[in-house]
Amino acid sequence: MSELIRKQAQLLPPVNEAEDLEEFIRFEDEPRSGRLSFAEILKIAWRSIRANMLRSILTALGVIIGVAAVVALVSVGNGVRQNVTNRFSSFGTNLLTISSGQGGGGGPPGLVRGGGAQTVTLADAEGIAALADKRISGIAPALQSNSQQIKAGSNNTTATLIGTWPDYETVQNAPLQAGSYFSSDDLDKRRRVAVIGTDVLTELFPDTTASALIGQSIKIANISYDVVGVLKEQATAGFSNPNSNIIIPINTYLQRIERSEYQGEPTVRSIAVHVTDARDVTAVETDLTTLMANLHEKTNSADYDFNVRNQAAQLESVTAVFSTLTLFLGAIAGISLLVGGIGIMNIMLVSVTERTREIGVRKALGAKPRDILSQFLLEAILLSCVGGLIGISIGVIIAYFSTKALSVPLVVSLPSIVLAFAFSAAVGIFFGFYPAQRAAKLDPVDSLRYE
Amino acid sequence: MTSPVLSLKNIKKVYVMGESEFWALKGVSFDLYEGEMVALMGPSGSGKSTMMNIIGILDNATEGDYILRGENVSDLDEFDRAEIRNAYIGFIFQSFHLLPRLNLLENVEVPLTYAGYAPRVRRDRALDMLEKVGLADKRRNLPSQISGGQKQRVAVARALAMNPALLLADEPTGNLDTQTGNEIMGLFHKLNDEGVTVLIVTHEAEIAEQTKRSIRLRDGLLETDQVHKQVRPQLQGAQRQEAGLAS
Ligand SMILES: Nc1ncnc2c1ncn2[C@@H]1O[C@H](COP(=O)(O)OP(=O)(O)OP(=O)(O)O)[C@@H](O)[C@H]1O
Ligand SMILES: [Mg+2]
Repeated sequence: MSELIRKQAQLLPPVNEAEDLEEFIRFEDEPRSGRLSFAEILKIAWRSIRANMLRSILTALGVIIGVAAVVALVSVGNGVRQNVTNRFSSFGTNLLTISSGQGGGGGPPGLVRGGGAQTVTLADAEGIAALADKRISGIAPALQSNSQQIKAGSNNTTATLIGTWPDYETVQNAPLQAGSYFSSDDLDKRRRVAVIGTDVLTELFPDTTASALIGQSIKIANISYDVVGVLKEQATAGFSNPNSNIIIPINTYLQRIERSEYQGEPTVRSIAVHVTDARDVTAVETDLTTLMANLHEKTNSADYDFNVRNQAAQLESVTAVFSTLTLFLGAIAGISLLVGGIGIMNIMLVSVTERTREIGVRKALGAKPRDILSQFLLEAILLSCVGGLIGISIGVIIAYFSTKALSVPLVVSLPSIVLAFAFSAAVGIFFGFYPAQRAAKLDPVDSLRYE
Repeated sequence: MTSPVLSLKNIKKVYVMGESEFWALKGVSFDLYEGEMVALMGPSGSGKSTMMNIIGILDNATEGDYILRGENVSDLDEFDRAEIRNAYIGFIFQSFHLLPRLNLLENVEVPLTYAGYAPRVRRDRALDMLEKVGLADKRRNLPSQISGGQKQRVAVARALAMNPALLLADEPTGNLDTQTGNEIMGLFHKLNDEGVTVLIVTHEAEIAEQTKRSIRLRDGLLETDQVHKQVRPQLQGAQRQEAGLAS
């Protein structure tokens, strides 16, 4: 053996032979699990995400947008539905509504517009009132105007006029904070008196309190009315704002605002009937139908020109519409999540190709196929899960602001978040698996030779 | 007489490229014994790297048997092959093949990671190995921040991390000047003295002269297999065996 080589070897840092051996034994005795730890796989995956930060962010963006859309849309949809449900339940499930038209058809009261001829009249309401028994606690026929110009002094606002009976308070659950509803005397004498909503109050009399307002006058269509009551603030609904309503006696409405007739009787938009005990609703519904048929002289149910509907049925149909809508929007958002997944797959395939040589080196140093598989699979899952978490946060923020703008309650449904997260993780697994498997199956020699 | 560490019997390797096929190895046989230091020589394209890849079980022979530690390698699945590569064989590549994004310490740690050692143990061991090749002070450098000779030394440190019984080096000095080449060779001698079996591919005669035995390939066939001075008794026996197979 050449002396030179020996000398060269001595140039290397001197090693104490005994200590070296001791160390060697110590190392050999250390426990080894024989497998790559999860923490280690996570570290490898995270490093490669970090090494291509911009690319990783852009890849995750697909999932971020998808998850944010799902969470936001489902939350807003649920908020709107909740709002509608709240409104319905504030009327109570004891309410029956009679309106013109044939057959079923749902929709909240605000949306019910007689598509055909108005056939329900004030005379029907009077007929029901005449025959009403103890089961019925209130009857309120109603007419409703389009938005009207209202004046008080130099102040202006617009409001919806509702002509009805004093029972409106109980029937529509619209209590007062000051004053009182008009009396039946006011109704009979067609007095010009009004119960106003809180928005009308603040718009027309910004500096006046509700109680001080009683007795003041406002002008509707250039005719003055005395304010007799102020409604309590009510939750606004998606469709209409009950706080900008003005309620006046229906006879006054028919004389001063508008009037149309059916067989010589003034028509009404609807007649709301409040049933005392919820258990009687079905029975009263049947009785009212019979009564209306008699009043309208119809014997065959196919000829009925009116509907008697209960709130529960209407609520059901409305929530069904919203659920379908929410589901539909959620599905569209889900598709964008799928597209995000395809983006992940695409980048993972590129990444596997780019790192062919690294894979070869790792295999040559003892990486098992499952180690390589988990490394790449975890990278994809990490991308999609981190994307999912960011997406959920953004989705909740969007939901927060849009429900605020729509003034509906923020209903962040936990299931939708869990589902969105699980879905994004599943997207990572599903779209990450193929590239990872491809990496795991690479031949070590071929990958080492890869340029 | 000890049984050979590894035994190659009539190894053939064919590369198929579309229609044509090329026999890179046409039937090579030899044994390696524990504690040997052998040079694998031959002109370019004679099949040295192909042979090394088969011995390092990175690649499979098309025909023939490769018995490693008494086991026929072709019977092993990819899982077991990975374990043998990890714990039993140290492979040094001609082009280093360090992982570019990991620093030197982390590069040396890679095989220890796959063996499942705890982080502290790994770190200590990798640092020991870097110390052994004189690069402990550069442990935080990336491979792109060191010279070619230093890269080769890191590759050696990495190959030694798992304390392998068999060290395979494909032209370890090919990219290095004589001085650094000799440093690397000095390291191999030290390991060989510790009992590690070393197989070095080289085309440099001076390198081959420093070994105890050299095997020469030509056109995929074993041309010569000669033992230099300082031959151990059992090697002579092995030598006779191989001569019989090769001729
Ligand atoms: N993947 C491959 N596909 C086709 N032919 C190959 C492949 N790998 C090697 N060869 C061929 O096999 C023969 C032997 O190659 P090998 O790399 O083993 O040679 P070598 O002895 O290492 O040469 P060198 O000293 O130049 O490194 C060469 O003729 C080469 O062209
Ligand atoms: Mg070669």
